[in-house]
Amino acid sequence: MRGLRGRLRILASIAILVAIAVAVFYPQAAWNAIQLPLFAVFSTTRMVFAYLLSLVFAITYGATAATNKRAAVIMLPILDVLQSVPILGFFPAALVFFVVTFQGSPVGIELAVIFLIFTSMAWNMAFGVYESLTTIPVDLEAAAASFGLRGMLRFRLLALPAAIPKLVYNSILSWSNGWFFLVASETFTAFGGTYTRPGLGSFITNAGLAGDATGIALGIGVLAAVVLALDTIVWRPLGVWSERFRMETTGHEVPRVPSPYERFRWLPRFPRLRRTFWASAQPVVTRYRRASVRLDRTYSAHPKVLRDIRFLDLAMFAVILLLVVVAGVFGLARLFLSPLPPAAAELPRAAASSFVRLALAYAIALAWTIPLAAWIGRSPRGSRYLTPVLEVAASLPATALLPIIVGFAILVTASLGPAAEVSAVLIALFSMQWYLLFNLIAGVRAIPDDLNEAARSFGLRGRAYWRRVLLPGMVPSLLTGSITAWGAGWNALIVSEYIPFLNPPPHVSGLGYLLDIATFNKPLPDNEMILLTILTMIVIVLAMNKLLWRPLYKRASVKYRVEV
Amino acid sequence: MEPSLLEVKDVLKSYFENGKEFKVLDLIRFELAERDFVCVVGPSGCGKSTLLRIIVGLEPPTSGQVLFEGSPIRADNPQVAMVFQSFALFPWLTVTQNVELGLEAQGIPPEGRHARARKFIDAVGLTGFENAFPRELSGGMKQRVGLARALAIEPLLLCMDEPFSSLDPLTAQNLRDEILQLWANPDLPPKAVLMVTHSIEEAVYLADRVIVLSSRPGRMVAELEIDLPRPRNRKEPEFYGWVDEIYSLIV
Repeated sequence: MRGLRGRLRILASIAILVAIAVAVFYPQAAWNAIQLPLFAVFSTTRMVFAYLLSLVFAITYGATAATNKRAAVIMLPILDVLQSVPILGFFPAALVFFVVTFQGSPVGIELAVIFLIFTSMAWNMAFGVYESLTTIPVDLEAAAASFGLRGMLRFRLLALPAAIPKLVYNSILSWSNGWFFLVASETFTAFGGTYTRPGLGSFITNAGLAGDATGIALGIGVLAAVVLALDTIVWRPLGVWSERFRMETTGHEVPRVPSPYERFRWLPRFPRLRRTFWASAQPVVTRYRRASVRLDRTYSAHPKVLRDIRFLDLAMFAVILLLVVVAGVFGLARLFLSPLPPAAAELPRAAASSFVRLALAYAIALAWTIPLAAWIGRSPRGSRYLTPVLEVAASLPATALLPIIVGFAILVTASLGPAAEVSAVLIALFSMQWYLLFNLIAGVRAIPDDLNEAARSFGLRGRAYWRRVLLPGMVPSLLTGSITAWGAGWNALIVSEYIPFLNPPPHVSGLGYLLDIATFNKPLPDNEMILLTILTMIVIVLAMNKLLWRPLYKRASVKYRVEV
Repeated sequence: MEPSLLEVKDVLKSYFENGKEFKVLDLIRFELAERDFVCVVGPSGCGKSTLLRIIVGLEPPTSGQVLFEGSPIRADNPQVAMVFQSFALFPWLTVTQNVELGLEAQGIPPEGRHARARKFIDAVGLTGFENAFPRELSGGMKQRVGLARALAIEPLLLCMDEPFSSLDPLTAQNLRDEILQLWANPDLPPKAVLMVTHSIEEAVYLADRVIVLSSRPGRMVAELEIDLPRPRNRKEPEFYGWVDEIYSLIV
């Protein structure tokens, strides 16, 4: 023990000496080193606020849609659209609303940033809650009903626990989505001005603008450290904990299915720290339980109050339904009855080129993720050494890599026009590829050992093995990954097709570009074009989901599902 | 004959799909008194599980009525408890918490709950597993938890939906004997048992009375008093006589 302490002291002394040396010889780097932790705190705080908002929204919205059939009729399609609308659709609306309402004050910009992150987190979480609540096994519902669970008690013992696995899983997705938008929204140019809130995202962007390579590297390093640290101390334990809320489908022994949190396996665990944390959280949990029981008693003692609440709920639902329908009809009518703006003629071409760009990025992503996933998924050694590396790489949102990608593209093509094209595809690639890779690895791992052994005993190898075992086994996870990846790709358009910080701003034709110039390039945003662009995008994304992914997914889940 | 505990009066159930009517159950009618052990037996798909769900009030019948102690049944009736084929244990609750489920819903304070839960966990032979989670238990132990949970609310009537179908034969036989012991013990609930099964042998082994359903739609083919002395021996010719008779009624 003493030896260890001595060594730690020596290490600390060295670190302090190095820090002093850096401060003397590289004052800029030292200034960064002081600022960056603070910026990390700012950025993380924004993320936490946005996440808490999303959590409250997801539970309320998902639970209401799942329990109230009337409300579900309208709530589900809305959620479906919100989820498929590339989040960038909210960008202009949020900016205009918050910036104008607060007259450009920091509070307004801060709220705008938090709202934008919220829009990148909330929808899939709400869907997760809805799905969990509607797929509770019939017998479990029956048990709850026949043992008299009602109200808060039912929520606490049945609904909330049942939602936890999907809620946590989607939270992890949402959280990394959030980083993407945090970086994109901490600095933005609009209405002839540039708005910046201090944070890691704006730090990286500004370093990129100044051509400060060490600044970029430092910013990205700190961002990666923060993302990984939070994965370690928050998401990994939550993921493991959520496993215990998973349903067992049969009474028989269930074969081991790899958990989606396997990718976190290599992260350290800190058992002592965790025990201390839970011990200190215990009183809070107990108090919450007591309060909820008390609340439930109060409720069931006043049936009239319950009736009133239900009536209020119905009334509010009717009002909201009316408002939504009227507003929708009027808005669309006004949009299409007035003559279309001349810029609308560019929409079809822009849509086509955005689509081609995403398809190209998707193809590149498939080309390298499928073989790598096949290898990592089957080789324990590959998994041990490569997963940490990939995890670090994946922890970086594509937006944070923007300065590097753009710089790389300019370096390779040596001229601004083609560089913009190359960087747009690369940013889309970086936004899409990780979803494919990690889903595919999970898919390969989920192929039962029996199947692999049978294949080996029948001498299936090489191409036959790929064709008969590996590829079919990957299909369901390939589709899941593809849906998420394409969603992320559409989101990347707004940052990839137009880079406002450079002068002249490089751009390529596309929906993201149209949306950008409609929003930012004039003293006031061009509402008509914003609406038309978003509508175009919604139509494409919904069409792809309904006509391509869902039918494929349905067929795959019948044909390629491995029975256990 | 004792006054009847449960009356199933002309229960009929149909589903409607694309305007077409699918009859699942057709005019089921029987009564159940205290001390009765009744098995409903029928081929798979004859609607016997639906019948049980209607009897405990989880689903309304299309027509007809189910009366418990003279008034219409309600799903949360604390006098009726249910055991499921899939066990229906809450995976996030420990054995004790699962067993306490019905007691918690009745608002019984923690001390009383714990004592009652311990009593029934002991009664089904799970002492020592109070803090285990369902996934850590074998199938047989899970069903013991399901049983303890049902008994803990001290019901008059215990309803079981194929409770032994997902267990291995040996475990199932042990549990059958334990159910019979519980039922024969006047100090412990339940007063009466209603069980749905597709196993004719199981029905003859357990029941005083067997109600035989035909397949699609489920109709009552027969109601038979099994007058074999207990404990019953599966190897005796009388036992096989009953099994063969019911078998011929179904086929």
